[in-house]
Amino acid sequence: MGGQVVHIRNLGVRLGPELAVIVEAMDMSAGDVVVLDAESGAGKSTALGLIAGAIPASAFDGTVHCLSNTEITPHAPRLDYGSPDRIGFVLQTNILLPYLTALENIRLPVEIAGQTLDTAWLTHLLGALGLSGLEYRKPTEISVGQRQRVAIARALLGRPDLLLLDEPVSALDPGNVGQVEALIEVLAEDAKSAVILASHQAARGAFAGARRAHHRVEQRDGVTHSIFAMETV
Amino acid sequence: MALSLTLALKDMRHDWQSALCFVAALVGVLAPLLIILALKNGIIGTMVGRLIDDPNNRQLIAVGAGSHTPAFFDEMRARDDVAFIVPATRSINTVANALRNRNPRALERAVPLIPTGPGDPLLPDIPLTEGQAVASDTLREQLSLEIGSTVEMVIGRELDSQSQTARADLTVTGFVPPDLYGRAALFISLPDLLAVERFRDDASVTPETWRNPAPFDRYASFRIYAKSLDDLRPLQIYLEEQGVQVRPRAENATLLLLFRKNLNILYAAVAVIAALGFWAAMAANLRGMVERQRIAFSLLTLLGLPEAQRRLIPILQSTTLVILGVAATLVLVLPAIALINLGFATAPGQFIARLSMLDIAATLTLGLITALTASIWAVAAIGNIHSEEVLRHA
Repeated sequence: MGGQVVHIRNLGVRLGPELAVIVEAMDMSAGDVVVLDAESGAGKSTALGLIAGAIPASAFDGTVHCLSNTEITPHAPRLDYGSPDRIGFVLQTNILLPYLTALENIRLPVEIAGQTLDTAWLTHLLGALGLSGLEYRKPTEISVGQRQRVAIARALLGRPDLLLLDEPVSALDPGNVGQVEALIEVLAEDAKSAVILASHQAARGAFAGARRAHHRVEQRDGVTHSIFAMETV
Repeated sequence: MALSLTLALKDMRHDWQSALCFVAALVGVLAPLLIILALKNGIIGTMVGRLIDDPNNRQLIAVGAGSHTPAFFDEMRARDDVAFIVPATRSINTVANALRNRNPRALERAVPLIPTGPGDPLLPDIPLTEGQAVASDTLREQLSLEIGSTVEMVIGRELDSQSQTARADLTVTGFVPPDLYGRAALFISLPDLLAVERFRDDASVTPETWRNPAPFDRYASFRIYAKSLDDLRPLQIYLEEQGVQVRPRAENATLLLLFRKNLNILYAAVAVIAALGFWAAMAANLRGMVERQRIAFSLLTLLGLPEAQRRLIPILQSTTLVILGVAATLVLVLPAIALINLGFATAPGQFIARLSMLDIAATLTLGLITALTASIWAVAAIGNIHSEEVLRHA
């Protein structure tokens, strides 16, 4: 498993009595890009949350959940496996803390983890994402697209092993989608991050050629299982 | 801690209108309470101060004649609540037939003789031993006395239908101010008083030998003063339990103390009710804040901020708001108190309204306790906010 960023088997969560979302198999190394390409409501965000350890997994047979060679246990402190140099997460709704400036929001995960700030990388991110000059504005003082780019910078500042992107361009106008996706791809490559993208519109754009995790739905004992799986590498 | 404090303060600054409303609400509750407390302290404190300044208010008067042994007086002197006690030979004052000042010549008849001794609250810092006396201010005027004057004390008796007179020269060492003792009287040492009584009661004592009396083994009465006004009632109860009937010289002192006690209880009740109301408002406000910030707290969970640090945020916010509220209250109340004292000026050194540092420290302490306990609901709520909420917040 040396150098493996993601190693997952049968990681799932039951969402009520009739639905379960499962990541059946996923292995990724640094620089890999995988797209969870499924229709809305299939459980893509839930799958990302499971992978990130942000959603507690239910008990399934044969569960394996390793990120950056660290096995994730149910009660492990989040910073043990989810520090900004391991996981970066871009949320669909580009949530920022409203009382912090753009720059404070970007730096927050690194400050929480007590890690050293890479100012050169920060300057590079701000410039590349077009945020220079907006550092001291509050989220309410910038546009939706700029907020999304702040969220991307926040996820990338720690140079994470794994970058999780949940519909990162869904709130943008179509003219900007391709540009932002291309930026993410380049910056993730600069950061040497493995990328998992949840998107229902990745058939075109920068991630059109990326590998896909297959999605299928199975009925088992009256429970609908929404299953994501990729070929092992 | 530092990051939690930063987040707490930045959140409050961002939502400054809510914070301002909260501080205003605290000032609205606290300012009237502190002004009432200051008035209570000032008015009652001044009245009690005046009572304390007059030692007569600490005197218990023995009712009727008793039979008190020297051991009784030793026991009473050893008590913490007794400031002064001296035996008296009668339940009413012994009276000198006459007191005479030879220079200038002046004579006063039937002057009460009052036993005294070291520590007498009516004669602070005035030395007095056998052969010395302290005159009341009225007697000073009547006999034109000065410190160092010699007063001739004349004691008469009837023996076998013959009048006999004993005389003694006493040196005046001081005067009792008129506000402490208003009538004419001469304060003398116990041995001198005993000599007077022996001469009157014992035929074997002659005018030549009367100044060397044997001590009494029983005394009919005493002069006693409690150490403080608060000691007055317990001391009265103790003496009555011993079968010694006494009454406070100044009944109004007891009534005022009772009034003060009841006022303290009333104020405490008002303060507790106000604090409970404020506590409920604060708890609801903090809980509401957590609910409004639910997604932000979920994001902080996702970003790895430890639970203890997340729980610290409402605690720090509530304590900061209370400190700001108390400070704003003091900024308003202290000048108001100064204005009240200016507008209702009393005697120098006395105030209508007064707030001590202890009152301010107690207010701040109670405020912080309120802040800490009121944030428990909010702190508990944060424990139920998980990182998955922000993922599903679409």
